[in-house]
Amino acid sequence: MLMFDVLLALGVVGTAVFALFGKDRFVSVAGFMVMGLLIALSWLRLGAPDVALAEAAIGAGVTGALFLRSARRLGPLEVRRLSGLHHAAAIGFAAIFSGVLFAVLSQSNLSEGLTPMVADRLWDSGVSNPVTAVLLNFRAWDTLLEIAVLFAALALVVLLPRRPVWPTPLGDLFLPFARIVAPLSVVIAGHLLWQGASAPGGAFQAGAVLSGGLLVLVMGRVFIPQAMRGNALVAIAAGGLVGFCLAALAAEILGGAFLAYPDGADKAWIVAIEAALTLSIAATLVLLFTGLPRRAHS
Amino acid sequence: MTGLMTWIAIALIGSGTVFLGIAALALWRLPDIYTRLHALTKADTAGLTLIAIGAGLLEGDLRVAVTLGVTVLLVAMSGATAGHLIARLQARQDEESN
Repeated sequence: MLMFDVLLALGVVGTAVFALFGKDRFVSVAGFMVMGLLIALSWLRLGAPDVALAEAAIGAGVTGALFLRSARRLGPLEVRRLSGLHHAAAIGFAAIFSGVLFAVLSQSNLSEGLTPMVADRLWDSGVSNPVTAVLLNFRAWDTLLEIAVLFAALALVVLLPRRPVWPTPLGDLFLPFARIVAPLSVVIAGHLLWQGASAPGGAFQAGAVLSGGLLVLVMGRVFIPQAMRGNALVAIAAGGLVGFCLAALAAEILGGAFLAYPDGADKAWIVAIEAALTLSIAATLVLLFTGLPRRAHS
Repeated sequence: MTGLMTWIAIALIGSGTVFLGIAALALWRLPDIYTRLHALTKADTAGLTLIAIGAGLLEGDLRVAVTLGVTVLLVAMSGATAGHLIARLQARQDEESN
């Protein structure tokens, strides 16, 4: 497998070069998306399937779609020569990074990490997937803040001037494709959400898959966020953060500590929070793509 | 019997790999976007399907087989649709430039 790992690492570097030095934006974005998939494969090789799923769905998929959407608006790429300062900065960064890498690798007691601590208390978390146990129970506070960051990104989109996407028709073949892919994405998202308790999966992966299905509908001009009444999509997007905060406060009242779920009911709380997060993440990603629904100006 | 199954699976995965290799070769050697798409959309899907059937036989588990089946369905559909969309865009651009 060493051969495979070496090829994989070379592939990541090669596609990164494509992404950085592509002749036009489309080539760059394509390079970036393939790099994301190869990185997902690397995570799998490192034994982190949860991260691999998130990288493939969000890093390569949704981010790639966002880049492609923006690439068209930005227009053609202007070629700029790198200055001496750029090269000096790159060399300096490489030196610092190599130093840090060397310092980390020369530590002897790295392999343990926090794994034994998590494994020790896994029975108390309500779920059997250690990643979900950390994200939604032991360190749920961190995840709450992550959702707040995602919400902040959406708030920025709300504040910026609006130029909603209006996709061009994609021909006769697209609708039959959407008819199969969109329902399938709902099933897969539900599967990832439910499976997250015991196997790799969870709200972020499920939300990204669901947003992918919604974007297929947007591009097939079936689902038009601008035509939705009010700001339903924004409300769903905000629902994740609001729901998570309410759950945290409810746990405070019921259990006496912030985000300490009542004993024995951990799994129900985790699945409920993750369900709200899945919808919220999906809505947020779709809104980042389409822009905010335009209010009628009177 | 198990031995036979394993050999069939290996043969399927091997021929699937050959198909993927041909697809890569076509992408590299063929002259324009239409011929490349023509080769790629078919050879790619055929290769992946063969590999998935082989992997399913190796696992011998219905759950795995369903997952592989859904994967093949998604790849086949998105490959065909993406190929169509790319060819359509190219055809429009050719028309405009003429």
